[in-house]
Amino acid sequence: MQAQPANNDGNPLYAAHKKIYPREAHGRFARLRVLSLLTLLGIYYLTPLLQWDGRQAILFDLPARKFYLFGLTLWPQDFIYLAGLLILAGLALFFFTALLGRVWCGYACPQTVWTEAYLWMERKIEGNRSQQMKLDKAPISAAKIRTKALKHTVWIAFSLWTGFTFVAYFTPIDVLANNLFNGNLGPWELFWILFYSFATYGNAGFMREQVCMYMCPYARFQSAMFDSDTLIVAYHPERGEARGSRRRGVDPKTVGLGDCIDCNVCVQVCPTGIDIRDGLQYECIACSACIDACDEIMDKMSYPRGLIRYTTENSSKGNPQHILRPRILVYATILLVLCGALLTHVSQRVALDLDVIRDRNTLYRETRDGLIENVYTLKILNMDSASHRYTLRADGIDGLKLVTDRPELEVAAGSVHETVVRLQADEFNLEQRSVPVRFHLQALDANHLSIIEEARFVGPGKS
Amino acid sequence: MDTPTADRIPCTQQAIAVLWPSFIVAIVASGVFFSAFNPKDLVPFNLDIDISPLAAYSIGFLLFWIIAIVSSLGTHYFTISNRRFLRKQGP
Repeated sequence: MQAQPANNDGNPLYAAHKKIYPREAHGRFARLRVLSLLTLLGIYYLTPLLQWDGRQAILFDLPARKFYLFGLTLWPQDFIYLAGLLILAGLALFFFTALLGRVWCGYACPQTVWTEAYLWMERKIEGNRSQQMKLDKAPISAAKIRTKALKHTVWIAFSLWTGFTFVAYFTPIDVLANNLFNGNLGPWELFWILFYSFATYGNAGFMREQVCMYMCPYARFQSAMFDSDTLIVAYHPERGEARGSRRRGVDPKTVGLGDCIDCNVCVQVCPTGIDIRDGLQYECIACSACIDACDEIMDKMSYPRGLIRYTTENSSKGNPQHILRPRILVYATILLVLCGALLTHVSQRVALDLDVIRDRNTLYRETRDGLIENVYTLKILNMDSASHRYTLRADGIDGLKLVTDRPELEVAAGSVHETVVRLQADEFNLEQRSVPVRFHLQALDANHLSIIEEARFVGPGKS
Repeated sequence: MDTPTADRIPCTQQAIAVLWPSFIVAIVASGVFFSAFNPKDLVPFNLDIDISPLAAYSIGFLLFWIIAIVSSLGTHYFTISNRRFLRKQGP
């Protein structure tokens, strides 16, 4: 082996890249992975087609600054929910990592999902692992150029579809498709389609396992969530060693060998190009391709399956296994509490907001009747999906009067209504120069839609 | 034990080490920034510009990315030059 630059722990890091040709694995985990990939790809490509109440079901409407999530409309003020959701997703990742190891990496990470899709297309066009390697070694010929051109055309077409779908989460898909076919696509929409397509093409077609090894922060810190009871993919050295080739039907013990026939298939199927028999490595994304591959070989040799298997450090050492352990309980508790808090908060969310802005030009003025008057601009934000009529009142000072042109205000669904109101109070009732007052806004047709907003009332003060 | 230095790390990986973390930071930064401020209300340097919201968000994101890239480049530069300096000093 040539010398590789290594980091301080001696692990190869930043090695010069050698292309990996993963061999296709067949078996129960491969089927499970394909099922998971198809489900996730289906969700990604079909979600923008879903409709809800005559609009796209999930849409980040940037110009209107609204995020539609089925029946829920979120405004920039609701950013906290999105942040909460991200924190929740992060915690869920911790929880599942502690319990099941890197299942996320092997079955659900977009990098894995799209890489597998691109590998599938590559296999359909260039053939299996040995055919691909032969093709790459072959001198340039018309046939080689044709095959490569076809592969890249299919890859680029799939990337463009991916990029188009991504932008369809921000611009309604029917509008986007219309603009595309009529040549009216905005420059930025085009930019983002191409940007996302290029990223997909590069990540899934070329970078592949290097993204996991060099770019993924999770791959670097996931081991912190691991303990001796975390599910890992591992080779059984006591059973497998000493490895070596033998004829079929020979009892390995009679020739001083273990169950591993050293066929190297587990290495060939590995998408990150490692040898699982060297022990747990941080490059391993727990995709379980080597389990399927080895099981197939064990079946052929009539040996029991499971030379490479899902196990835990404890169970492979014969120690007792703990599923419920402090780490799991702590992650689960935090997860449940946060989940509950977020759900309660969303269910208690009042789809109404009131902004009160005091007139900046004059602090106060005196009316003809000798009352002190303050002017406010109110911004009423109806975040509900139906239009409502509201009444407004104010309190906080004895005998406070609210003067407005309209006693009832109608605000359409999802819009902002601006109105100017005046508050009048007797100087006698003002304890200080600046007194807190409260505006109460109440929907007439829905009891739960009410909001209270504080403001200051300024007067001359006691002299 | 060898330590990776600029001359040993392939160019693409150096570029990714700068571009990728700054990309993530730019997403977070523009998410927080644009939740608080509507680009319609922001008129930089009193310029009279009329651009679409998507353009405003996109330019905002790219600006955040550039700022973060500059910062990442600084970190990258100092890390590499520190390693060279330490290597010159000997063990």
